[in-house]
Amino acid sequence: MSGVRAVRISIESACEKQVQEVGLDGTETYLQPLSMSQNLARLAQRIDFSQGSGSEEEEAAGAEGDSQDWAGAGSSADQDDEEGSLFPHHGTFEVIKNTDIDLDKKIPEDYCPLDVQIPSDLEGSAYIKVSIQKQAPDIGDLGTVNLFKRPLPKSKPGSPHWQTKLEAAQNVLLCKEIFAQLSREAVQIKSQIPHIVVKNQIISQPFPNLQLSISLCHSSNDKKSQKSATEKQSPEDHLYVLEHNLHLLIREFHKQTLSSIMMPHPASAPFGHKRMRLSGPQAFDKNEINSLQSSEGLLEKIIKQAKHIFLRNRTAATIDSLASRIEDPQIQAHWSNINDVYESSVKVLITSQGYEQICKSIQLQLNIGVEQIRVVHRDGRVITLSHQEQELQDFLLSQMSQHQVHAVQQLAKVMGWQVLSFSNHVGLGPIESIGNASAITVASPSGDYAISVRNGPESGSKIMVQFPRNQCKDLPKNDVLQDSKWNHLRGPFKEVQWNKMEGRNFVYKMELLMSALSPCLL
Amino acid sequence: MGVTCVSQMPVAEGKSVQQTVELLTRKLEMLGAEKQGTFCVDCETYHTAASTLGSQGQAGKLMYVMHNSEYPLSCFALFENGPCLTADTNFDVLMVKLKGFFQSAKASKIETRGTRYQYCDFLVKVGTVTMGPSARGISVEVEYGPCVVASDCWSLLLEFLQSFLGSHTPGAPTVFGNRHDAVYGPADTMVQYMELFNKIRKQQQVPVAGIR
Repeated sequence: MSGVRAVRISIESACEKQVQEVGLDGTETYLQPLSMSQNLARLAQRIDFSQGSGSEEEEAAGAEGDSQDWAGAGSSADQDDEEGSLFPHHGTFEVIKNTDIDLDKKIPEDYCPLDVQIPSDLEGSAYIKVSIQKQAPDIGDLGTVNLFKRPLPKSKPGSPHWQTKLEAAQNVLLCKEIFAQLSREAVQIKSQIPHIVVKNQIISQPFPNLQLSISLCHSSNDKKSQKSATEKQSPEDHLYVLEHNLHLLIREFHKQTLSSIMMPHPASAPFGHKRMRLSGPQAFDKNEINSLQSSEGLLEKIIKQAKHIFLRNRTAATIDSLASRIEDPQIQAHWSNINDVYESSVKVLITSQGYEQICKSIQLQLNIGVEQIRVVHRDGRVITLSHQEQELQDFLLSQMSQHQVHAVQQLAKVMGWQVLSFSNHVGLGPIESIGNASAITVASPSGDYAISVRNGPESGSKIMVQFPRNQCKDLPKNDVLQDSKWNHLRGPFKEVQWNKMEGRNFVYKMELLMSALSPCLL
Repeated sequence: MGVTCVSQMPVAEGKSVQQTVELLTRKLEMLGAEKQGTFCVDCETYHTAASTLGSQGQAGKLMYVMHNSEYPLSCFALFENGPCLTADTNFDVLMVKLKGFFQSAKASKIETRGTRYQYCDFLVKVGTVTMGPSARGISVEVEYGPCVVASDCWSLLLEFLQSFLGSHTPGAPTVFGNRHDAVYGPADTMVQYMELFNKIRKQQQVPVAGIR
């Protein structure tokens, strides 16, 4: 290698800036390279958020102590749920350096070098309020559910304040999405009574005289709203269950758009439920296709749930009011722990105190649905009641009246008395406005006495005792019955003054009466 | 999908196709059937392309591609005595791509359109078979929903058919054939329609009911 002259090599670095255009006089215009924030945005687009374990802010603000603004392109801190959302709000936020530090004073304990700036419409806190009012307020009152002033929830100790801010902003975004979907459906869906959408409130009438209002309550933290009057929030106003269910439903909707039933799927097939792809090759007819596609929207679901909750509460109130008002017979309600959003059940027993084992023929199973109550009687009858509370009350009253007569029948069996006649619906006597009167006649073991009972829901109970002829002093003399043996037969009836009878309830009194009329054998 | 019988109703003497259809539908309505919309069954024919035929010059097979509004998301493809394929509607697009192998005989597109009646467990469809602009016949399809085995309910179907078709009641369809105990499927209905369409295609004019 020695002796050969060294060759000069000039090295030129590759053009760093791309040429955008070359002018006619030879000047080149270069494409400006991406700024730091643009570069980060480009890189962040490539990040697969579904695999991240930590929060996105850590990924976005990699370099600490950097004094530049990094535009964080992220939609939320909770990856699993917010993906699948079709809400058009992007929810971008900025991560900035916290310059709120006074170097002269001691650094506070909860100091964090990062801070977040969220868009103005996501500031503050929000919640969805669902409430039911009995009477429809004036039309002028609509849309007046105020912005409320609620102090920011205290952040958990140890969690940086930007996390609280972000969580609150995420909640606001979710509430806005829920409300947007509900109002869209309220406008699109045709129903018998149209839904009213006013400002931040949706009003619908699931039952007559009943109003369901769903409102988006959003408070921003600026000074203006803090001066406005705070609304008195009564705790009974909210239906927290429905608000919770709304959140659950929207999350379910998000999950559905990304569920394993949808993905992965063949490239040529349209998006949809897996079974829908099979509907072609398996020749599904219209009924089967309809059953696959759920056609109910969020609003319909919530209204159905609200109807059910209302019906259930009213049923409970009716039963409770009857139980407190009427002491004899007693009404017991055993509510089932397991129920559905659209169906609950309760077992209603009508008993007499002290005679629960003997008189248990009235047992009703009430299945409370969305609009109707289905009653299954122990004897197999199925009755459907509407949502009117009077119907249920009348029905229970008529059952209570029937119970008394059934109780006499059972008691007679125990006491050895013979049932001569029994009818659940007698056609004699005054007409009842609620249900029908029932009647029973029982004869004593010796046959001397008979007790006849007629009990109606409205007319109350009427008890008559039939005495043998030889005990009646005021019998007219008769030419037909000449033999004295006829005097042992039962003769006229006499009414018993039931309210003067001793005994704490009907069956007890009846037992005493029966005992009094059965002579002691000793 | 219940057991279905597809048959042809000859046109009443002295009446047009439309009038006969009207007679039939009026009979059904008097029987108590409930009108439930319309239906459409159509059929396109494809020949296997000449280029794929071997030098022996064997006759090209005919393939029929059919649609039935009862199964809106499906498409059926069948050969005359061969298998019937049930596919989704992308099959039509596939046929376009297979233009080189299957050539469509455009002139022979045949379809039947009419009303759909529900009478308890029976679904009756009375349709006018048209080829292009001209009406060529009347198709009657009766489905008995609850049963999927042909041999179990053929007599019931026959009785029902007799109640409103009278003397024009058909015999047992050939699809029931030997496999009486096999489960009936939508493909069998399409085979019946294909046979009906072929029969109508061969008839030069609209058949008229004979003088009794």
